[in-house]
Amino acid sequence: MKEKIGIVNTLEERKPYITRKQEKGQEIPLACDNNSLAGAISQRACVYSGARVVLNPVTDAVHLVHGPIGCAGYTWDIRGAKSSGIETNRSSFSTDMKELDVVFGGEKKLSNAIDELVELYHPPVIFVYSTCIVGIIGDDLESVCKTASQKHNIPVIPVKSEGFKGNKSDGYKAACDALKRLIKKPPEDPTAKKSPRAPETIKPKINILGDFNVAGDVWLVKPLFEQIGIEVIVSMTGDSTAEAISRAAEADLNLVQCSGSMTYLAKWMQQEYGIPYINASFFGIEDISLAMRRTADYFGSEKMKEQAEKILETEISRIMPEITRVRERVKGKKAAIYMGGPAKALTLIKGFAELGMEVVIIGTQTGKKEDYEQISYSVRDGTVIVDDANPLELAELLVKQKADLMVAGVKERFIAYKLGIAFCDFNHDRVVEFEGFDGFVNFAREVDASISSPVWNAVRQRILKPETVEAENKLDRIEKAAVEERTSGESYAKECTNILLKPEFVHQKSDTAVESQV
Amino acid sequence: MTKRNYATVNPCVMCQPMGSALAFKGIENTMVLYHGSQGCSTYMRLHLAHHFREPVDIASSSLSEKGAVYGGRDNLKKGLRNVINRYNPKVIGVATTCLAETIGDDVPAIIREFKEEQGIGDDPEKDIIIVPVSTPSYGESHVSGYIKALDAVVRKFTEKSEEEKSIKIPNGKLNVIPVESLSPADVRELKEIFEVMSEDYIFLPDISETFDAPLREDLPKIAQGGTPLSEIADMPNSRASLGLGIVSKNLAVKYLEETHNVPGYNVPIPIGLSNTDSFFIELVKILGCPIPEKYQKERGRLLDAMVDVHKYLYGVKAAIYGDPDLVFSLTTFMLELGMNPVLVATGSKNRDFEAKIKQTVEIINPEIEPVVLNGIDFDTLNDAVRECNPEILIGNSNGKYIAKALNIPLVRVGLPIHDRVGAQRILTVGYRGAMELLDSITNTILEATDTFTAPVQAGPAVYTGEISEKDCVEGMR
Repeated sequence: MKEKIGIVNTLEERKPYITRKQEKGQEIPLACDNNSLAGAISQRACVYSGARVVLNPVTDAVHLVHGPIGCAGYTWDIRGAKSSGIETNRSSFSTDMKELDVVFGGEKKLSNAIDELVELYHPPVIFVYSTCIVGIIGDDLESVCKTASQKHNIPVIPVKSEGFKGNKSDGYKAACDALKRLIKKPPEDPTAKKSPRAPETIKPKINILGDFNVAGDVWLVKPLFEQIGIEVIVSMTGDSTAEAISRAAEADLNLVQCSGSMTYLAKWMQQEYGIPYINASFFGIEDISLAMRRTADYFGSEKMKEQAEKILETEISRIMPEITRVRERVKGKKAAIYMGGPAKALTLIKGFAELGMEVVIIGTQTGKKEDYEQISYSVRDGTVIVDDANPLELAELLVKQKADLMVAGVKERFIAYKLGIAFCDFNHDRVVEFEGFDGFVNFAREVDASISSPVWNAVRQRILKPETVEAENKLDRIEKAAVEERTSGESYAKECTNILLKPEFVHQKSDTAVESQV
Repeated sequence: MTKRNYATVNPCVMCQPMGSALAFKGIENTMVLYHGSQGCSTYMRLHLAHHFREPVDIASSSLSEKGAVYGGRDNLKKGLRNVINRYNPKVIGVATTCLAETIGDDVPAIIREFKEEQGIGDDPEKDIIIVPVSTPSYGESHVSGYIKALDAVVRKFTEKSEEEKSIKIPNGKLNVIPVESLSPADVRELKEIFEVMSEDYIFLPDISETFDAPLREDLPKIAQGGTPLSEIADMPNSRASLGLGIVSKNLAVKYLEETHNVPGYNVPIPIGLSNTDSFFIELVKILGCPIPEKYQKERGRLLDAMVDVHKYLYGVKAAIYGDPDLVFSLTTFMLELGMNPVLVATGSKNRDFEAKIKQTVEIINPEIEPVVLNGIDFDTLNDAVRECNPEILIGNSNGKYIAKALNIPLVRVGLPIHDRVGAQRILTVGYRGAMELLDSITNTILEATDTFTAPVQAGPAVYTGEISEKDCVEGMR
């Protein structure tokens, strides 16, 4: 179906990035995986941010930002990733480059800063992030880090994250490259141990890649595997330590959750150490079950499979009454998803289905073609799919698609709120776990609380208008004009007016009118 | 801890472009564009959205590797074009970042070129005004970014030929320009004072609505409110300029004085008794009208409140940190209340900070000797707090780590405040602001020191028998 005026008003160059769900087998006509358009107000951050969000949860590392103060300041403890021990990662370290450093080079300052931080914090590893300016003035991070590494006898790892050298996805890659340097060769011959073995004799080991322990997620996931006799060596990078990461190559299998950031590392571990990986998600009943069953199947032990089934049965019957209760309250509501990476977006579609909700908008900052194809197959007809959306597009989509709830991060929150639409943070800012069985209960409850709050009724009346006959007549005239405008096929959020749009409920009356005319 | 000379641990400042946004966002129908990489705008939007709890749209020229090598001209032009297309602003503030500055883009020249290509003139009535400001992140701090952006705006809107400058059409107005970003509540309070004192004032920048927007029936692309452009252009015709803040140099006030002969007066940010007094005294001098009864009463109430709390606050050791002028004014107030500001610190590097603080201490309570720190990070503050042993911390929410670690209560004032709601409604200026601050500080201290104990139970013999209501009432007397 071709829409006359496009799905939303936007810049010509942005139009290829917004489409609707396609039929199965049809190639999705969606542009993606490009640099953001100047002036379009992308919700994406930069290469540095991509690297930082992936590595930041490494709890005992000193995360040293080599650059001007801003880059470190704005990323100070924003990840919401919890630690079960040391919390060095919650401090913000910077070389605070000044004009003189830019002119004469910052290598000396960096090397001195590393010396100071080693003395003060005795970290097992230092990640040194390069920022835009370092890429321009050409400080040789590799050599400074190498020297420091030898001097202090700890890994000092440069993270090549100059902000302008690509987009957030390139930052993920830079982070994985840094992790690669931390992973040690396992003690015995690695090729001998990578086939699934009988867990009765040796305990199988896995890593969880792409779980960042936001609000303590990993602590609800690890036990599920431990209970079926699997050892989780490390979760990357949520609640991880340099030591645990260094042992990652001892694993028999990698479970990859955040595929956008970690597939690159998983592939490398497969190539280098023969460790296979499977994609998994620990959110929602269906995906958790799938993850556990696939893992148990991989190791092939009947005992393990049985244990997994038993746990699933107990856990599901434990949480189901609460899920059913919430489902009754929220079913039929429409959700909008805008996520950083595609894996979370995909698993959320299933999660919403389990709550009886449908997804009407779905977008990501860093999805790739194949991700969007998968997304397209997973959503209902009419769902809008968008890559690298901006605030104006999101606002208009929320109104046009009549979303009841948006799931995204902080920057999107206030767009939804201004429109009177419920919002649920599935990013760094949430305070409760969403993964695992109890996490899904938390999620369901938050969705319910977000949608059911009486504040949404209150905000429908934004102007207090004691009614008079005259006022009613005037209102009628305005509404009629709005109907005419809409039926004439023109958008009501015209280009070059400063009013973006009105919240959905302001249109409700005229919308019904339009439908009845059709 | 060891003294550090090279590594910064937990920064107490933000970078210059951030300050420019705080200024630009207080101007009517204005968009901000950062010339640099995509992340700068996103991070600062996030930071501001967290603090004000409002959507904050800031564009970026999204420089890529190609832009960094061959110059950001094309990206900047495209960014401007797209912002105009989508937001239809009246003003675009273009702030540079470290990337744009280091690759050496001549931003004013690119903007001139862009305007020529697009046929954009210089008439604020019908043309989009583009205001460039140089704010590399490696220079100074967000405080200087804010001051520079305001200076650039005033210059841009008051550009006149020498001949025009001599022709003045006095408007009888008073320009008011704070040297640091105040909260929307503060701006609202100040505007109310000016409205009561004299209707004729121009407040720049007015973030009272842009960063604290009411829910409206429609969602404007650019938050409504802000200083009207016509008023900014009218600033050279004003009778005087009042700069709020005396530690940092108010470039816009200085420029209006030197170039347009508008006499400039600088008073401390009116926080606390004497600072608010100086503010009103200066207003009376400039406007020639008496202090309205309303404020005499408010002042009286503040005095009453100060008397009420003096025992709780006397000698209480406080650590105050944040932006230089805010800290200066807060310190003055703490001294007036009889508190002992043992530690006074700012993250910005400011030449005059120490001298100004010492001066105010000398005037109000020469007996005390606060530790005054300049250009610090939070780790240094942490060490200093351990040494000075304050009973209360006063500053932004980034002090929460110290507060938690050392179990010292924190009163949140300033920017950013990310872990509590209501940052946009924190009122500190004027007599009312002083009262709110005083209540909040006193109650925080009371909360921390109040060890609630259940009423002591008397021996059972006395109370086991039935006591009549009469006895109870009697007993209470």
